[in-house]
Amino acid sequence: MEVLEKLFNVALVVATIRTTAPILLVALGGSFTTRAGIFNIGLEGQMLVGAFFAVIGSIWTGSALIGVACGVAAALVFALVFALLVVTFRANEVVVGLALNILAGGMTISLMKAIFGTRGSIVGHGIVGLPKLTVPGARDLLGSYAPLVSGFTPLVYVAFLLVPLLVLFYRRTRLGLHIGVVGEKPDAAEAQGLSVTRIRYTASLLCGLLAGLAGAHMSLGYITMFTENMSSGRGFMAVAILIFSNGDPVRLLLGCLLFGFADALSLRLQTFGFPSYLVLTVPYVVALVALFLLAWKTRPKLVRETADSMRRLLSIRPASPER
Amino acid sequence: MDYAVELKRITKRFGSFTANESVDLAVRPGEIHAVVGENGAGKTTLMNVLFGLLQPDEGEILIDGKPTVLPGPTAAIAAGIGMVHQHFKLVPSLTVAENVFLGMEITKGGLIDHRAQRARTAELSRTFGLKVDPGERVGLLSVGIEQRIEILKVLARGARIIILDEPTAVLTPQESRELFETLRGFVAKGMTVIFISHHLEEVMEVSDTVTVLRLGKKIATRPTADLTKAELVQMMVGRAVSFDRRPREKSAGAPVLAVERLWARDERGLPAVRDVSFEVRAGEVVGIAGVAGNGQTELAEVLAGLRPESHGRFRLGDVDLTGRSPAAIRAAGLAHVPGDRMVRGVDRHASVAANILMTRQDRAPWSRRGLIDWSYVRHRAEELIGRFDIRTQGPDAPVKSLSGGNIQKVVVAREFSGDARFLLVDQPTRGVDIGAQEAIHDEIMRQRAEGRAILLISVQLDELIALADRILVMFNGRIMGALDAEGVSEDALGLLMAGIAPEAVSREAAA
Amino acid sequence: MSDPVRAVLGQVLAVAIAIALGALVILAVGESPVRVFRVLFLGAFGDATKIAGTLLQTTPILVCGIAACISLRAGLFNIGVEGQLFMGGFAAAWIGFGFSLPPVFHVLLGLAVAALAGLAWIAIPAFFRARYGANEVVSTILSNYVAVLLTSYLTIFLFKRPGGWSETPPIHESAYLPAIFDFSRLNWGIVIGLALAVGVWFYFRATPRGYAITTMGSNPKFAEYGGIDIRRQGFAVLLVSGAVGGLAGGIEALGVHRRFMEGFAPGFGFDGVIAALLANGHPLGTIVTALFFGALRNGSLLLEVDTNASREIITVIQALIILAVSAQILMRRRADSTAGERRWKF
Repeated sequence: MEVLEKLFNVALVVATIRTTAPILLVALGGSFTTRAGIFNIGLEGQMLVGAFFAVIGSIWTGSALIGVACGVAAALVFALVFALLVVTFRANEVVVGLALNILAGGMTISLMKAIFGTRGSIVGHGIVGLPKLTVPGARDLLGSYAPLVSGFTPLVYVAFLLVPLLVLFYRRTRLGLHIGVVGEKPDAAEAQGLSVTRIRYTASLLCGLLAGLAGAHMSLGYITMFTENMSSGRGFMAVAILIFSNGDPVRLLLGCLLFGFADALSLRLQTFGFPSYLVLTVPYVVALVALFLLAWKTRPKLVRETADSMRRLLSIRPASPER
Repeated sequence: MDYAVELKRITKRFGSFTANESVDLAVRPGEIHAVVGENGAGKTTLMNVLFGLLQPDEGEILIDGKPTVLPGPTAAIAAGIGMVHQHFKLVPSLTVAENVFLGMEITKGGLIDHRAQRARTAELSRTFGLKVDPGERVGLLSVGIEQRIEILKVLARGARIIILDEPTAVLTPQESRELFETLRGFVAKGMTVIFISHHLEEVMEVSDTVTVLRLGKKIATRPTADLTKAELVQMMVGRAVSFDRRPREKSAGAPVLAVERLWARDERGLPAVRDVSFEVRAGEVVGIAGVAGNGQTELAEVLAGLRPESHGRFRLGDVDLTGRSPAAIRAAGLAHVPGDRMVRGVDRHASVAANILMTRQDRAPWSRRGLIDWSYVRHRAEELIGRFDIRTQGPDAPVKSLSGGNIQKVVVAREFSGDARFLLVDQPTRGVDIGAQEAIHDEIMRQRAEGRAILLISVQLDELIALADRILVMFNGRIMGALDAEGVSEDALGLLMAGIAPEAVSREAAA
Repeated sequence: MSDPVRAVLGQVLAVAIAIALGALVILAVGESPVRVFRVLFLGAFGDATKIAGTLLQTTPILVCGIAACISLRAGLFNIGVEGQLFMGGFAAAWIGFGFSLPPVFHVLLGLAVAALAGLAWIAIPAFFRARYGANEVVSTILSNYVAVLLTSYLTIFLFKRPGGWSETPPIHESAYLPAIFDFSRLNWGIVIGLALAVGVWFYFRATPRGYAITTMGSNPKFAEYGGIDIRRQGFAVLLVSGAVGGLAGGIEALGVHRRFMEGFAPGFGFDGVIAALLANGHPLGTIVTALFFGALRNGSLLLEVDTNASREIITVIQALIILAVSAQILMRRRADSTAGERRWKF
């Protein structure tokens, strides 16, 4: 019991919020492409280059903000290449996404070696991380619960605020509506003079923007360093969440919280002496189980007529053309 | 007086194929102008040129007497032209109002004003007598209402010249009649209507002027009142064609297919086939008539093992096949020409020979000792190419290099060359040119003469009347009635297709 | 010009463009492209030892590539080859060090168990894909991470070599997959790989089942209509694909490392997948692309010694090649769907 109390407390919730933020950012980015009808497996790579160039920008300019901008710019370049190949050249999106992921991995390591002469990770070198924001008055109002709302880096707030903003975006803005239409029925968009190509490019770039932010958050948020392949499958988990949520921001939030929690819990469990190798599998296993459960739940169900349903369906007067 | 629309010497080529050759079309303001012709006569191409979707290679477009260039649909819309496509372009998950205003949303402070869009849609709907509920999701609505929404979309964009491409193909006779009244209302308000059709009855009934196209050329433009139906057919086809019944001998033998109280649901879980029972005998062609989307597709899929039934049973001979796999049903003697040949009927990337091989790859002499005998496959493919007059470079040509009609012949060749006792034939001549159509009809009659049981599903009544021995009419998933095809009238079929029939009578006749 | 000729020329052109882009990247990291390519070439084909080394690197890429080809042929993406390779490698090593058995039998059993381990590892994603349509791209990718962590756990916590670091005990000599030459670790695995490539090619071309699988990959609805049970067949294809992935791990464990260790065979699974994609799923083409990637890998070993470029520069080149090629080939899955419609089951 005592162990459980130690395990589940405010600190765990705070850790969950923290670990949720990057995956939420990248998943929200993926919602643009998912809704526009593009299966974007390249999120992982966009996040990774975002993280790398954020660190580079931060070192070169001494500004975390410019670092974030550099990370976003790099992710946007990847997003643009993705859109060029998938939308314009009609290449297979799985192949392009995978290749971009591999490119991101190889490129960041090569550049790391070229610039810093090291392998493995970039630590120090004057990386400036993102500041932590204190919400004024939180301490007085909430006491020991204050860390729940205060003291996160800015991108954590951005991630969570984006959820309602995206709900509004998809429901009430023309671009949001059109992105959905392009995914659901491109013919309909084309017939009204909307350019499917332009909208898909826009969606892909918006996705790159958020994936870049997610990457910058990874390398300039709580830890200020870059390590080889540091996105370690978060982009793929985001894709899994996108599959269950179909790009709906609220359901995305719920899915990401689940993974953030699994992530935070696995970090905690390590400190309790569980073998780290097994504990680290937890988020992946959660993602897999969720993916399988969803597929099982949405399986086509076999309908059987009953005497009752048959009687009811036959008694409907067939002569109403309106149905 | 200026014409509302005047197309002069329009020529449009696709590669070596000329879809429109120096076609003239002149439409007076305030008239209903029908453009008629067979499949492939170039009607849709001409309309796409007028709507800016295609650019003519030669020729000139005048709107209200002024020469106009239409680089795209947006320009056409700006010029007051609207087009209702044959395949609706509506977004199922959006509401009626959202669909009507798609691409020209009403915004307030940068956000879409859904309330204003609904109000505006309701207003348009009242003004033009097109009843819709602006707040409803389009995915839940019937085809007839979807068409109204498409028309509303065009009206909301301020169109004065409205083009309708085959508007009645998906409608019941009543819905068509309502549509015609709406169109009359439009011309009474001074608008101009151009509609494409190959349904002669309705052309005669509703249009003021007719332009006939054949093989990409304009044959004539005449006031409808000066024409008879026979003259119109003569102009469309270029020769007198009779859709008379094929001569036949009574040959119905033992029952082959027996369907008992069959039910099935569609993708959305809604009942699509309701309590269907019938029999098909050896040497008999049973036709299934009905407006598209009344359960025929689902019925065919259940019989082919591609869709689970929700109740009931069916058997071939003595073998109960309810719930069995497509392989088991084929083994029991089914051959199937599917309704959508591009999706189900062929592998477009594979060669003609590889497509002919399907369903028999495990059987000698097609394969021996676990290996496919490709030289035999090629040899048989060549033989079928000859017998069915398939226009192709040879058995190794990929199917995608063939024309639509020839792809259908590949499907028919494969399915008709086995030893099946039951042929399930769904829309065998959809989109197929007249020559191929007659060849396929000949083949169906030959199969009948050889004693096969044939279920022929078609939305073309003339095809059913020409080939079938009995015609069952489906409406809303049910068999409304069974008629002897000998001496049946299109009117009698039309009533049943609209769902008007005492069901007690139909039940007895179907059994 | 006939279609196949044009297709091959297209691929060659795409590779040339990618190499040109790669040269730009090499310039960007401050190295001379000429020097890098020269070192890569000499490192791959400089002498007999180098060539043997290239073939040694080619072996796992080829076997993994064949695993990917098998799934691609049915229109499925097994991107979990990496994970199957790790599971197979561990399983084979376990048979190798854990049991004392007669020589030839020991090797065969080790390889068989490796294949079984790969098969078991894909079984769950394969089942949910075939039965319920769960996206196999994501599920197989995610299971890679689990496989790598799980085998590390097994190695370090349960089967660590006494006194060793993060590796299992060495396997018995009876379980060695024998080397072909005495100057290289190149082993009979390359022969197994080549035989597999030819066998799989022949199977798809000449047998009814191979025809059925090809048709399913090209148009699953047509296959279903023609009486092929696409669920069962898709499941079986993924299982076989996973088994071949496991076999690749077995060959590495018994032929090269002769034990299992952390970071056992990094990236071979992914290289195999992209080699197969580059060959457009053709097993014989995969021999060529796998050899190309094997040469790049072997050449890259010298790269860090002789130049300032890191050896990961070759993954950059590989990725660029895939991107260049992807722009002009329409993979089967894409070609069959209406452009623009949602192609994925969400």
